[in-house]
Amino acid sequence: MAVMATRVLVLEDDDGLRTSLRLVLQKDGYDVVEAADAERGLELVEDPGVDLMLVDLMLGGVDGFTFIRRARPQTEAPIVVISAREGVEDVVSALEAGADDYVTKPFDVAEVRARLLALLRRPSLSDAGTPAPRQAPGRDVAGGAVTGPGTTTGTTTGPRATGRTEEVFVLDRDEALVLDRGAAQLTRGERTIHLTITEYRLLSVMAENAGRVLSRASLLEHVWDGGFFGDERIVDVHVRRLRKKLEKDPSTPRTLVTVRGLGYRLDTR
Amino acid sequence: MRNRPARRPGLRASVTAYFALGALGLSVCLAVGTYLAARHLLVEQRERTALRQAYTDAALVRDSLLTSRSEVSDVLGSISPPAGVVMYVRRDGAWYSSSLDRPGEVLTETVRPTVESGSVGTAWTDRTEPSAVVVGIPLPAVDAEYYEVAVPEELAATLRTLALALAVCAALTTVGGALVGRSVSKRVVRPLGEVADAAVQVSAGDLGARLRDTDDPDLAVLVGTFNHMVDALHERIERDARFAADVSHELRTPVTTLTTSLSLLQDTPGLGDGAREAVDLMAAELARFRRALEDLLALGRLDAGATESQLVTMDARELARQALVGSGRPASLLVPTPSGGAKPGVPTTVVVDRLQVLRALTNLFDNADLHGGGLSRVEVEGNGDQVELRVLDDGPGVAPDDRRRIFERFARAGGAKAGTGSGLGLSIVARTAANHGGGVWCAQRDEGGAEFVIRLPRVPEEGGAR
Repeated sequence: MAVMATRVLVLEDDDGLRTSLRLVLQKDGYDVVEAADAERGLELVEDPGVDLMLVDLMLGGVDGFTFIRRARPQTEAPIVVISAREGVEDVVSALEAGADDYVTKPFDVAEVRARLLALLRRPSLSDAGTPAPRQAPGRDVAGGAVTGPGTTTGTTTGPRATGRTEEVFVLDRDEALVLDRGAAQLTRGERTIHLTITEYRLLSVMAENAGRVLSRASLLEHVWDGGFFGDERIVDVHVRRLRKKLEKDPSTPRTLVTVRGLGYRLDTR
Repeated sequence: MRNRPARRPGLRASVTAYFALGALGLSVCLAVGTYLAARHLLVEQRERTALRQAYTDAALVRDSLLTSRSEVSDVLGSISPPAGVVMYVRRDGAWYSSSLDRPGEVLTETVRPTVESGSVGTAWTDRTEPSAVVVGIPLPAVDAEYYEVAVPEELAATLRTLALALAVCAALTTVGGALVGRSVSKRVVRPLGEVADAAVQVSAGDLGARLRDTDDPDLAVLVGTFNHMVDALHERIERDARFAADVSHELRTPVTTLTTSLSLLQDTPGLGDGAREAVDLMAAELARFRRALEDLLALGRLDAGATESQLVTMDARELARQALVGSGRPASLLVPTPSGGAKPGVPTTVVVDRLQVLRALTNLFDNADLHGGGLSRVEVEGNGDQVELRVLDDGPGVAPDDRRRIFERFARAGGAKAGTGSGLGLSIVARTAANHGGGVWCAQRDEGGAEFVIRLPRVPEEGGAR
């Protein structure tokens, strides 16, 4: 049975850049669909559906933020923002809207390639019980867990190499909230909770270090590639998003708690 | 010991001092004037009293000598003079006195020539303590001279009391003047304090800070000018930001298109040698153009004083470690022990815009790799109220004449025209350090190579110990 190529949506209003991205991605073996505006992009997300999205923020008409907010309920496909805007507020807003990664123009094609592959290497969280994902060119869809934390930073707030090999983390027994890294899914009872790739990586690192306070800097370092040059507010954004999915009352979190002045801690019950 | 320059007093202290000195001068003048006038009046009064008393007593002595033919000493003994008054009579060269304590010849010498010439004389003598008023009256009817010496002890006491009271009043007036001056200076300085507070807010990035409108005509000009200045500043920063955003969008997208398209060309098989060389040259120049664009935009943001991330309090060593690892260099280049010369164990906590300082450190690392023969090590050391981050290389060092100039925009050491950098990397370092209240400089290492140092203000540990 033929394996379908990974379909990438390039949503970019600049014809030149959109065309050059299409050529590069097609050369890499991706199935590329293009859109110059958000409306067309939303149509393509709905039909034929996409596995990855490269989205510019400054589009004519409906902007990229709005596109992401509208597209996110329809698909868990990773969204990589490509934008000339590099303010932290823009990055945070895009992530708040539902993007998974953010690349600032001008970028190297190699960098975009690496990020797309990194996102494709992660398990597709919504695929539990669904048809197999399309295959990335020259690469299998990885089903393995998120890369574990590296060496300890020597502080109480750095993730440690726990050596834990568990694939199943029970986060809350009362609510049957379970992170199963083998199946790459988070469930509450019978219900699967959809996570984006970054949310999954964040939760996975925190689960490995349950009960320990992890600083924002160490989370940046271990959850985000090249995280040293990210803003710590990005961590806050993802923690807020994760809480909406984990906590009964996100305003008074019990599982993913803030330790004022230090960072975050995952408390299991 | 080094002599410190004298510290100039503040405006409030100066105004207070001027008021106090003014009050002191005024009160001293008034006190002296009052004292002199009162003293003059009292002395005149006392002289008149002494003269009246002397006339009365002299008439009594003359009449007694004329009618009773008594001896002078008997007559003087029969008269009871007021307290402090001594009567003298000189007759036929002999002196008669109502008291044996004070010799009349000495006490009356100031008026005796007048009396001997037949006139009444009044004068003061300082032969007594306090000075006494001496009245001399010729008594031709009995061929004698009458003298009366009155020691006005009550006058001296009154003048002493008056002087003391006036001195106390002068002192109180001076204190009062100082208090008034302090109050006035507070009122005068308060608007300046509000201006200073607003200026601090503006410099900290709060461009919404304004002075409240006032109906005080003297202050309204200051308030209006200040608010207008902040409005203009705000507008300029917004315009610059808009310009940066426009440049950002207009240049970044075509550069990205060129980069992406060029990567396709580079990967195309079968290109001739000449064509491949040309494509590689284009790629290199495009990369340089891209770096220059990014650095220009970064410098524009730094010039505008815009922050790029939240200010965070963190250990400068951790900052250096993150910069090394984040730029793909081994963290082992951060040496655990400083080279010496400072107190060991001084904390190295700083408050920074993390992204800006990480970029500045990375620029120094890149500079060491490009021009310094490779980054050899990084040191972080707390010293006094500063933290120094040192980036050391093993290259030829920087010529003394170039050590300041290399931090200027598009400056290159040795006057070299071209390079692989944008020519802005060290300017970004200098601007970043300045925006953090610190500085940057380049020095020659004793063992060879250059040392670039970023100095940042250190956050003192709790308790104030250093």
